[in-house]
Amino acid sequence: MRALIALLALALFASALSLVSAQHTARSLFVDHERAQRQARQLDAEGDRLRIELGRAAQPAAIESAARGLGLKPVDGARVVFLPPAAGAGRTQ
Amino acid sequence: MSAATRRPLPSARDRGDGRARAAGAGERVAFSANPLLAVKVPAWRSKFVLFSLFVAFVALAVRAFYLQGGLNTDFLQQQGEARYARTLDVPATRGKVTDRNGVVLAASVPARAIWAIPEDVTATPAQLAPLAKLLDLPPAELKRRLADGDRSFVFLRRQLDLETAEAVARLKLAGIHSSREFRRHYPEGAAAAHVVGFTSLDDRGQEGVELAHDERLAGRAGSRRVIKDRLGRVVEGDWLRVPADGRDLALALDNRIQHITTSALRQAVERHEARAGAAIVLDARSGEVLALANWPSFDPSVRSGERRARWAPETLRNRALTDTFEPGSTLKPFSVAAALEAGLVQPESRIPTAPGRIVVGGRTISDTRPHDLLTVEQVVAKSSNVGTVRIALDLPAERLWNVLTAAGFGQAPAARTLGFQGAVAGRLRPYRSWRPIEQATIAYGYGVSVSLLQLARAYTAFARDGDVVPISLTRLETAPAGVPVIRPETARAMRRMLEQAVGDEGTAPQARIAGWRVAGKTGTARKLRDGQYVNAYVASFAGLAPASDPRIVVAVMIDEPGGSRFHGGEVAAPVFAQIAAGSLRTLQVPPDGPPAPAPRVVALAAEAL
Repeated sequence: MRALIALLALALFASALSLVSAQHTARSLFVDHERAQRQARQLDAEGDRLRIELGRAAQPAAIESAARGLGLKPVDGARVVFLPPAAGAGRTQ
Repeated sequence: MSAATRRPLPSARDRGDGRARAAGAGERVAFSANPLLAVKVPAWRSKFVLFSLFVAFVALAVRAFYLQGGLNTDFLQQQGEARYARTLDVPATRGKVTDRNGVVLAASVPARAIWAIPEDVTATPAQLAPLAKLLDLPPAELKRRLADGDRSFVFLRRQLDLETAEAVARLKLAGIHSSREFRRHYPEGAAAAHVVGFTSLDDRGQEGVELAHDERLAGRAGSRRVIKDRLGRVVEGDWLRVPADGRDLALALDNRIQHITTSALRQAVERHEARAGAAIVLDARSGEVLALANWPSFDPSVRSGERRARWAPETLRNRALTDTFEPGSTLKPFSVAAALEAGLVQPESRIPTAPGRIVVGGRTISDTRPHDLLTVEQVVAKSSNVGTVRIALDLPAERLWNVLTAAGFGQAPAARTLGFQGAVAGRLRPYRSWRPIEQATIAYGYGVSVSLLQLARAYTAFARDGDVVPISLTRLETAPAGVPVIRPETARAMRRMLEQAVGDEGTAPQARIAGWRVAGKTGTARKLRDGQYVNAYVASFAGLAPASDPRIVVAVMIDEPGGSRFHGGEVAAPVFAQIAAGSLRTLQVPPDGPPAPAPRVVALAAEAL
């Protein structure tokens, strides 16, 4: 009887210690998870920022002025060559 | 007791020091022999003490049970929680606005607001100098804001990017704080400003789509209950309310066509010294708005309240939707279509228009140039007022009204399908109150007012074999069903007439473009001011392309061209041509017409392929 009580007391003590350690592990994992989530949010925001940058760089007005800087001109009727689809050939458009 | 006090204490008095006295006590009398022990104390006294101690311990036990045993545990738990638990607000990111191809038109990125509690700021001017530099404020201005003693809170700079905000934090100045917010970016700037609109500094929609779809874009902020450890790290957390990020919104706009439209419109407004202008490009098949531009415009990227206050109200208005004008001749095709529907005339019927004048109800209506006998087609192509009035006066008023109403004039476009609020109804009076002169003027576009959006939508009837579709500013997955206005044969006949209007004989040869056949109608309407027609005009053009199988409807309106040229054919038609050519090229619509002006078709021999 006395041996059983001692055993149970020991088991209780061990379980209490493991509870503490499990709690600690859970919390540190939670902290890591939080950090990862924060990083994910930051990367999302960064992605949005880059997408905005891309939009700004690909803005038709920006492209047009850059093209003019290179001496290019807008397409007009005189410069367009239409290739009519020949019989038997695939569509050219 | 009395014996003890009576005893002489010579040694204590002689030596005058406690240690000696304690040492000397042993000499005097043993503890067990202490006469005090022999005093008879009543037994109830010790029992009373014992009982008091017992009561005190019971009180402690009761209190402990009261606080921890389940009767009143909240108090201690609250006290504990207050020391490590926090409620955090988790903001929702506002959704992006994109064009139909996913190009970002508006998006939010995290930013910081820098604020100060002036009382707490102890920094010297030398320490404030780098702060002023980071915040891009003149040092004097910074000093002025911090000197405002009445306020316990003052914003120094809002919408600051994260890197600069971190540099500010590294200065470690007392009383200077930062808080999270979002900054909205508009990469397209002024080009799409009227459709996209803008948000306030607090990320709420103020104008345009940003306002119309605010709820969907804004999302819902959440909050969570967390436990922090001594390092300030969150170690446990529970959502009180899960945040819902705003959903993205894809508009029907195509940013390339939008750019073509805006720049063509801008050039025209500047070249003709006009007050303003507006242009719309519609997808004829789905009713989607591919481009909608107004000029003058504004730059929605401006984020400072003071600079925003300087935006002229004129530039903020989305004229294409909210302003009405008398359309003039651009309305004539509908009168002619109503007459064709009624079977009163055929496209080849001859209408006498000589001598270029007609008197209706005591008022004279005249043509700019007198013609003689014109076919109905020529009446449209040459834009003869007299011919139109002759055709329309034979028509029962109800038939004309029915066609105009079915085409959408006089009614506000449904905000639900348009996805935009504030589009106006224009004015079309009920036919029962029309007098003959009104029926005549309405037939050629006076006495009725329309918005440019209504005009463009009505022209989809000619582009689509007789029906009109609801207009949508947002991208649609499936094309909506149309509402019939005129018969398909009538629509095809009208397309042929409108194609003649841009022919050599017509009013708008400048609307033609190389490679595609186009069709359209000019309008040059005098403006009504205080009930009087004045010498100011609205030049307009509404048309469709390609004429063989229309894909787009384009409507252009130039308000008060200031130069010597003010006719729709000279002012608005070239804008139409520029927009239509660019749009068809962007949409890769196969050409259906001669590549004028210089035909350069390369004939490919079949054997060469």
